[in-house]
Amino acid sequence: MIALSDSARRSLDDYLRQARAYLRGSRSVDADEVEQNITEHIEDALEGANEPVSRDKLDAVLQKLGDPQQWVPEEELPWWRQFVLRLRTGPEDWRLSYISFALFVAAVVIASYVSTQIFAALVSASFLASRAAISQTPESKQLKAQKWLLYPPLIVVYGFVLGVLLILPLLLLIALAEKYETHFGRLQSELDYWFVAFSVVIAAMGAWLGILALTALILGKRTQLLLRPFADAYKAKWALVTLIVGLGVMIASAIVGLVYYTYFT
Amino acid sequence: MNAKFFDNWTNQVRKGMLELCILNDIRNRKMYGYEIVRRLRKIEGLIISEGAIYPILSRLKRQGFVETSIQESAEGPARKYYELTEQGREMVSRMNDYWRAISGVTDSIEKG
Repeated sequence: MIALSDSARRSLDDYLRQARAYLRGSRSVDADEVEQNITEHIEDALEGANEPVSRDKLDAVLQKLGDPQQWVPEEELPWWRQFVLRLRTGPEDWRLSYISFALFVAAVVIASYVSTQIFAALVSASFLASRAAISQTPESKQLKAQKWLLYPPLIVVYGFVLGVLLILPLLLLIALAEKYETHFGRLQSELDYWFVAFSVVIAAMGAWLGILALTALILGKRTQLLLRPFADAYKAKWALVTLIVGLGVMIASAIVGLVYYTYFT
Repeated sequence: MNAKFFDNWTNQVRKGMLELCILNDIRNRKMYGYEIVRRLRKIEGLIISEGAIYPILSRLKRQGFVETSIQESAEGPARKYYELTEQGREMVSRMNDYWRAISGVTDSIEKG
């Protein structure tokens, strides 16, 4: 592997990310294979260059490779991507962003007074339009001012999903606590009850955090794809750290709760 | 307006020609990706963006016209070589015949 300067490395990473984004939807092309070929091409083209290779030298090679958007003919993309491309590259490049924002405004202003179902349907449609627009843009920073049109439904939907994911273990715990209330007969004082309950809640939240982190690890790059554009900078090591923290919190809290329950109540 | 028409037309011709040139290029011996690019870039006006070769190679592979093999290189890392399959040889022969026929007819029309 040829050594690149820091700015050249960033430039290459950006370029490969763009290439991946454009090739991803093509039915006839193996995106991983093309990416590997492009990397080999760059290595061959820079053979003999002084290392670390400067950004100027790398950019000259990338310029000859050309814009990845031109590599795959439009007719080879799936129908939905062609549709989105036409919407986005028509006379008004912001069309999809406007559609998304209009649906969102309609959801907030009109539908929320009419029915929750219509509100949910419009926000979902707005969310899908935003995701479609973003799928055509490899880097979220390229969205610039379009963010203001595209982000509101994404924040609402992701916020809702995040809320459900965080509240879910609490709801389960409440249900379980009600079911097994009699098992905690030993807990006479209010302090005892709250201490043990708090330990159980923290342990369960730690375990749940661990499960979420493990899911993110298993999904790998699909986690990034799932949470675009907010997870563009996501790295697997974050999930690993969260997994370790979650398990640590679960074990520590469970031990504290168990010790308190066994010896102090 | 004329320039745009010409650009559109050359784009269409180039697309088909690039596939034909790639297949012909690896007809007699296996080559690695950058080697194919280096040879084809000598043909003026054929390649606008060199990266476009790789999706074509990937597609030709998926269609069964080319196959790849990894070979160690004396100068550097192992390289992926492309070569025609039997199906690819038949296809390139048909494409060459078609191209010769079209080219001949175009010449005769041009000469009147």
